[in-house]
Amino acid sequence: MKKIAFALVLGISVFFAACETSDINPNDKNSVSLYFENLVGTDPVILNTKTYTNASGEDFTISTFNYFVSNISLKKSDGTELKFADKYFLVKESVEASKTITLPDVPAGDYTSVSFMVGVDSAKSVSDVSQRTGVLDPASYGTDNMYWSWNSGYIFFKMEGTSSKSAAANKGYKFHIGGFGGMSAKTANNLRSVTLTMADLAKVRKNIAPEIHLAIDAQKVFKSTLKIADKNEIMNPTLGTAVANNYKDMFAVEHVHNDKM
Amino acid sequence: MKLKLGIVVVVSILLWGCSKEETSEPDAPLLLFEKPSTFPNTSYKMESNPITEDGFLLGKKIFFDGKLSRDGTISCAECHNQPYAFTHHGHAQSHGIDGQVGPRNAPALQNLAWGKTFFWDGGVFDLDLFSLAPIENPVEMDERIGNVLQKLRKDASYPPMFKKAFGTEEVTTERFLKSLSQFMLTLVSANAKYDQYKAGKASFSTDEKAGLTLFNEKGCASCHPEPLFTDESFRSNGLPTDFFRNFVDTGRYRITELKEDKYKFKVPSLRNIEYTFPYMHDGRFISLEDVLDHYADGNMANLETLDPIFKKHTKRGIALTSKEKSQIIAFLKTLTDESFLKDKRFAP
Repeated sequence: MKKIAFALVLGISVFFAACETSDINPNDKNSVSLYFENLVGTDPVILNTKTYTNASGEDFTISTFNYFVSNISLKKSDGTELKFADKYFLVKESVEASKTITLPDVPAGDYTSVSFMVGVDSAKSVSDVSQRTGVLDPASYGTDNMYWSWNSGYIFFKMEGTSSKSAAANKGYKFHIGGFGGMSAKTANNLRSVTLTMADLAKVRKNIAPEIHLAIDAQKVFKSTLKIADKNEIMNPTLGTAVANNYKDMFAVEHVHNDKM
Repeated sequence: MKLKLGIVVVVSILLWGCSKEETSEPDAPLLLFEKPSTFPNTSYKMESNPITEDGFLLGKKIFFDGKLSRDGTISCAECHNQPYAFTHHGHAQSHGIDGQVGPRNAPALQNLAWGKTFFWDGGVFDLDLFSLAPIENPVEMDERIGNVLQKLRKDASYPPMFKKAFGTEEVTTERFLKSLSQFMLTLVSANAKYDQYKAGKASFSTDEKAGLTLFNEKGCASCHPEPLFTDESFRSNGLPTDFFRNFVDTGRYRITELKEDKYKFKVPSLRNIEYTFPYMHDGRFISLEDVLDHYADGNMANLETLDPIFKKHTKRGIALTSKEKSQIIAFLKTLTDESFLKDKRFAP
């Protein structure tokens, strides 16, 4: 009896699976959006006013939480990869719209993983000024600077705030992480690639534009031995490597919406 | 062909005849950039930013404009003054906004098309990206590039100049930086007495000749090779690191964070050196005599990264008699390019 039921279920599953793949028209396209929800643990990041506690028991607030996302790619179950070249995004906690990245014209299919680089790749980091538009335009940052003019390169990740444990007079801490590996000399490379598999597939269809909801846990920045009391300013690439190694693990796919339009 | 020329001549005469009051001929187009025949190919990708007269004039206007600084007081020309080969005359370290002083001596602006990196520490690898740094440095201009562009957009004189130079009135980061580069690229110094001597058009005095020989034989030329008089490398010449009371300038190390780069600074060109005083990255030496004394008198700091050329003798440095020093200085003064220092094209 059980065996029959199992076979039946299996048969139905196969049937449905077949249906599902067969409804993919490779000529259909739709957009895929990535939503970056910044959290500390499971609490949403609330700038300036909320106090959190890191792994070392240090209290901290967050006033700035920015990072560049580039070289996004989506991978299908069959291993084919769709790359979004020459697209650069700056996610800023202070700008709600910046937390959604929309990738247009994604061919219909079931996508199993998403990859991206945290930072601005070395080719772009040394490119002609004509290539530096949009979020790569140094004039676009205002006082929230994401570019080192004295050591040409972008600040890939920026986190600032306060902590009673900071040795700074204003109790501030500043993590500015950059370093693309150097133009001539081989220097610290803090570019990090992140690949996240999706338990829920992103099912792009003519009438489905999936939204991949990412949860970014700022708490991970402090994992292992990174203490504000030890160093409240990290702005040079070699020191920044430890921070980059931490924040590369702060990204996770929370869930995927495959709502029909 | 002859007929065409004839027509042009006749038309020209006719047109010239029409203008009764205007007797001055129209300005000849400015010759803006020409690679000196003795120079190697440029490092700057000239094709990425073709120099035009309108681009040059826009860049020049920007170069002399205090709007680049937060309070409108500091222009590029403040620290890069033409009669001194575009250095900050008389200032060991360059003074910026609110009278603040940075740790470095403003380098000469000359032959920048051949520069591979910029600043004493080589932190910037593209001339187009260079100007962002002094604009944003809190002790230089202390301004944001976005604000600068906004100020230029609101200044009625700029948008038409951007249109002339780039086709539309749009003021963008790229256009701003590339016009500044166009101006800076034209700052070519290749007409010193030395150049004329090499071309057989001038002769050297006995001391100048002896100085040139010493310059080569004593190894100066190994880091300062002609025709640019720099090899663009980073080296330590043994300057004691305690020059500032509260600050040790680690030079190239600040950029690469590589131990072997500690206390190394960009080898500067020696062109126009007679006018680029004071000398060294921190302007610690006032005269060329002081500089030669540093190289010759064995007072170099025993730094791990000290250039091997200074470790050949028991006494660190280069052995020079006082006569040899004065002959080398006589030669160095042949690198002065009066036509460059007085070139009216570069004046505001």
